Amino acid sequence: MKNFVDFLFSKLLSNRVYFLLILLVLVVVIMSAISPFFLSLGTILDITRMGTVLMLLALGQTLVILAGGAGIDLSVGATLSLSGVFFGLMVKAGMNVWAAGVLTVFIGGLLGTVNSITVAWWGVPPLVGTLGTMWIYGALALVITNGIPISGFPEKFGFLAAGNILGIPSQIILVAVPVFLILQYLVARTFIGRWIYLTGVNSTAARFSGIPVTRVRFFIYTLSGMLAGIGAVVMSSWLMTARADAGNGLELQSITVAVLGGTNIFGGFGSMLGTLLAVLIVTLVASGLQLGNINAIWQLAVLGLILLGAVALNQYISSYTAKRLGISS
Amino acid sequence: MQKNITLKTFIPRLGRREIFTIILLVIEILIFSVISPNFLSVSNFRSVLRNSTDMAVVSIGMTMVILMGGVDISVGSALGVVAIIVGWLIQANVNPFLIGAVAIVVGTGIGLLNGLLITFGRIPDIIATLGMSSILRALVFGMLGGQWLTGLPEVFGPLTRGQVFGIPMSIFILGFFYTGFWYLLTHRPIGRHIYAVGNSVEAATLAGINPRKTRILAYGILGSLVGFASLLYVGRLGSVEITVGNELAISCIAAVFVGGASVLGGRGSIIGTLAGVFFMAVMNNGIVLLGIPSLWQRAVVGALILSSVAVDLLLNRRAVLEQRRQLSRQREAIIKSAPLMER
Repeated sequence: MKNFVDFLFSKLLSNRVYFLLILLVLVVVIMSAISPFFLSLGTILDITRMGTVLMLLALGQTLVILAGGAGIDLSVGATLSLSGVFFGLMVKAGMNVWAAGVLTVFIGGLLGTVNSITVAWWGVPPLVGTLGTMWIYGALALVITNGIPISGFPEKFGFLAAGNILGIPSQIILVAVPVFLILQYLVARTFIGRWIYLTGVNSTAARFSGIPVTRVRFFIYTLSGMLAGIGAVVMSSWLMTARADAGNGLELQSITVAVLGGTNIFGGFGSMLGTLLAVLIVTLVASGLQLGNINAIWQLAVLGLILLGAVALNQYISSYTAKRLGISS
Repeated sequence: MQKNITLKTFIPRLGRREIFTIILLVIEILIFSVISPNFLSVSNFRSVLRNSTDMAVVSIGMTMVILMGGVDISVGSALGVVAIIVGWLIQANVNPFLIGAVAIVVGTGIGLLNGLLITFGRIPDIIATLGMSSILRALVFGMLGGQWLTGLPEVFGPLTRGQVFGIPMSIFILGFFYTGFWYLLTHRPIGRHIYAVGNSVEAATLAGINPRKTRILAYGILGSLVGFASLLYVGRLGSVEITVGNELAISCIAAVFVGGASVLGGRGSIIGTLAGVFFMAVMNNGIVLLGIPSLWQRAVVGALILSSVAVDLLLNRRAVLEQRRQLSRQREAIIKSAPLMER
């Protein structure tokens, strides 16, 4: 028995990717037992469509948390809403959709830079700083639109979210895969990725080894804003309107996904691949609940439970491994 | 002489930061009374007081939690859940005192659960309360089931609307809670424990304080205050809507930070929070009186939190620099005074 527990915690759970793969299979089995419509290629492809926006935000969130210093970005949802509103206004003013899209990513980056300045430069705790910008951006989006969705996107723009390329949803090919590969390359193969991890593990040690800790964190929050900007474009194409409440609740989802994906909430540990798998799991659960005719309200509760469970599990695993290796705390 | 000293200990001493907040409050009141002629009237101040009593009560607990470097963003949803239970019990004609007891017990339970998650689950405060908040919010939706609780009998109305000798009941409630918790935080061991844990968990542990127990207790107290505030809420509005408590958490956090508490924990006071609560209440009232769309309210509150935290950090940084300079001066003096051999 003790051997089994040891195996469970040291081999299976400590490698998050295996654990998530097993969880993914479990979720698919349970969901197809609940709903007979679940296990078909069409459904699963449709579900991945819904996951793209969440993936963009969750990857940004993962990087922010990885860089440590109690890093967290609560403003991702509001950033998505506000840059989406700007996108809608630009298109309505007669700008080319694709040019406006590029500008929107830039705007998202600018909104993220506000977080960079308050958190990385001024040293405001990330929680409070991004909570402040979350409220400011959310309110601004509402004030600008007066709560009325901006519509009037050209018909062809819907292709980004609803179209197919070779039978695969176009947003997967055009957005999700390229962004994931670029970020994976950045994190796993370049010095910037090493800097992010080292900053997260021990920022004092990182500073003494010549890593520009402040600049790393500055970059990360801006990047998170840019990813939210990309998310805004995809979301607008999906809804074919720009809504002030488009990003509501996405901050909770992105944090949940990042933590479920194995990102240590105190920074330094986690991976892009884990987050990707966690996005798949969470979107599968959410759409499975929808197919099973369970009220959307309870999805919120399920998400909260997953979040608490995932963090508690992470903490337990890390303390177990530490005990096994004979490190105190 | 002896009497003089004992009396003095019961008069709150104001720090520089609290005086700063009070000055801000006075400036704010002056500005609003110049701009809007309706602002400076007794009836308006009564309504400001009445509308902010529940927020003021919850802010006390929020101060204690923030003093320990934590934060609770689930207070709004928790208030919603308790308020719905209170509404049901009122509809069932239960004895008001029993309802009050149930509300406080349920609130305390939610608070203790938060505290347990944070200490024994070792989940950071913000994550734990974020998760709890979404679970409780779902509960609010589920319990209301799309229908609002309206037209509740005025069982708890007197708590906010009542008057004793012509003085609004709210003043008595605020006076009771704020004096009580000011005494608790400044003159009782448990209050000093909270400050100690907020300043340094390690130092507090070495001094024999159990940080886990202190933390759980603070969250529990916050929970019971939320339970009591839900009575005030139901009494004030006579209904429970689906949006119940949506703005409570941000208002409380803003009030505490404007009142001079440090985000890093360990610094802040009940008196400062009271000034912060009045600042927020007057601002909300002024925004409505000036005819500014209420959509702006959130943006203003967010900006206020950010700027007050930034100011606080700036002051803190200067204090730390000054401390360092003093230390290095002392060190130099020691080196100079030491004989050459020992250098």
